[in-house]
Amino acid sequence: MSFLGIVAVVGVECAKLSAQIKVRLLLAACAVGPFVFAGAMRVQSSVPADTLFGRAVTESGFAIPLVVLGFGALWPFAVIASIVAGDIFAAEDRYGTWTTVLTRSRSRGEMFAGKVLTAVGFSLAAVATLAASSVVAGALVIGRQPLVDLSGLVLPPVDAFGRVALAWIAVLPPTLGFTAVAVVVSVATRSSAAGIGLPVIVGLVMQLAAFVDGPEIIRRLLLATAFAGWHGLFAQPVYYGPLLYGSAVSAIYLVACLVVAFRLLQRRDIGR
Amino acid sequence: MRDSMEPLAVEARGVIKRYDSRDVLRGVDLFVRPGHLHGLLGPNGAGKTTLMRVLLGLVGRDGGAVKLLGRAVRSTSDSLHDGVAGFVETPAFYPYLSGRRNLELLARLDAREPQVRRRLNLDLTLEQVGLADSADTLVGGYSAGMRQRLGLAAALIRSPRLLFLDEPTSSLDPAGARDMRELAQTLADDGAAVVWSSHDMAEVDELCTDLTVIDRGTVVFAGSADQLRERAPSDIHSLRTSDDGAALAIARRLSRLTALVGDDGSLELCGDLAEVDGYVIALGCAGIAVRSLTRRTRSLESLFLELTARPDSDVQAEVAVQ
Repeated sequence: MSFLGIVAVVGVECAKLSAQIKVRLLLAACAVGPFVFAGAMRVQSSVPADTLFGRAVTESGFAIPLVVLGFGALWPFAVIASIVAGDIFAAEDRYGTWTTVLTRSRSRGEMFAGKVLTAVGFSLAAVATLAASSVVAGALVIGRQPLVDLSGLVLPPVDAFGRVALAWIAVLPPTLGFTAVAVVVSVATRSSAAGIGLPVIVGLVMQLAAFVDGPEIIRRLLLATAFAGWHGLFAQPVYYGPLLYGSAVSAIYLVACLVVAFRLLQRRDIGR
Repeated sequence: MRDSMEPLAVEARGVIKRYDSRDVLRGVDLFVRPGHLHGLLGPNGAGKTTLMRVLLGLVGRDGGAVKLLGRAVRSTSDSLHDGVAGFVETPAFYPYLSGRRNLELLARLDAREPQVRRRLNLDLTLEQVGLADSADTLVGGYSAGMRQRLGLAAALIRSPRLLFLDEPTSSLDPAGARDMRELAQTLADDGAAVVWSSHDMAEVDELCTDLTVIDRGTVVFAGSADQLRERAPSDIHSLRTSDDGAALAIARRLSRLTALVGDDGSLELCGDLAEVDGYVIALGCAGIAVRSLTRRTRSLESLFLELTARPDSDVQAEVAVQ
């Protein structure tokens, strides 16, 4: 497996993605969606009071990215993670192109690494787009007022911005965990529908399971729980335990799923 | 054609492949010389495509050893050796990209030449396979024949010294098939080894110098077309009767006469003239009228049918298993 080989695969995958309408639509939704939400909050009289920081959306623009973050954890991050990762391997089966790409000079290992890096890169780019758009939409549409944190302390704009940025960084590990789940489903089922749909269903089931009373260890092992790790950043004193634990759990999902997917692809008979 | 002392382009010994408990290849040997067009023949389901997949590293083998261009093919995790190219079944591409864009991306996966030279090479190759005018059309709008041409183009941009072509003319019109054959011949004349898989004996007879015939996962013949002809120098008789089914049943009771149903529905009889005479008399005694009896030189196709002939009960049993 060579570095240049992996770079070549990444280049090819990016070229293919840039030609796909669904990818453009998703990125456009990530860029425009927060502005639509912030605009709606500004003109309507009610606020999403049952959501974390929902009551503050008209008082501080920094609440907008946090409400979007909380909503994203329900299912949008799973969709963002799986829209490319769940299709990037299965699409070769759908089009019958495995034979075409594997009769070039790239090994299966290079193909796997290149595709995974592309999927991971897309997930990160989409989350970054959503984060940047949310922050800008909040600042432009609502304003850069101080934010009241979960303990009632007023955070000045610079401090609020820093914590919002950290909160968005904190959801990257579980998003990548879902990306890896989508990759393994895509490789194992050879179906784009399953690759994209199953991780979203898994995410929703995990959300439900998190509400059910049960052993704490089970709840902590759920990938969906890791999406709530950022809450500690807005408490006094700040606590990082759930964030670090969630990141570790996400890393386990990431490694386990990618190892299984790699072994499945290596052993597979193409064209059977 | 090259010196026969040159290393073999394909050296496959005892290749075994099982799917679940079913043996698809049972110790297949294949030897292909550089500068030769090698016909890989067999009826549908004989194992030709599986063998090609094994050789190209798409499918793992359960036994045997494979060397391509003198280098061992160890496992499916290896990349395909430089100089080896080809396609199996109808080549597939990304339908939302143009033919040219598909080739550009595939060339990037090879990435052995600077981009400018690659682009020039692509244009020449697209012209060579007759796709220059539709190179910028989305592949989703291509016919099967155009995809087959694009598949050949994708193989040619690897500058192959060993080219595998699986049923390469199956979707082409007669002119396209002729172009494909001429191109393969040119490559062989330039020193490349071309493995041409087909179940069309006439096509292979016209094109290939060497043959390997596979049936039910086993090599039933390997050698030159002339050697195959030498195996059964006798003429063949084509027979039409008032009841071909009954006539075939009578023929099968005769041990020194082989009868097969030809592509045109007539019975093809292989055997001495005295045996044929006796058979015709037997048909008369059974009340079956002979409507035509034509003597002709034996074609490779009839030899192929004989090599791969199987009792009806075998065929039925195989269908039941599938």
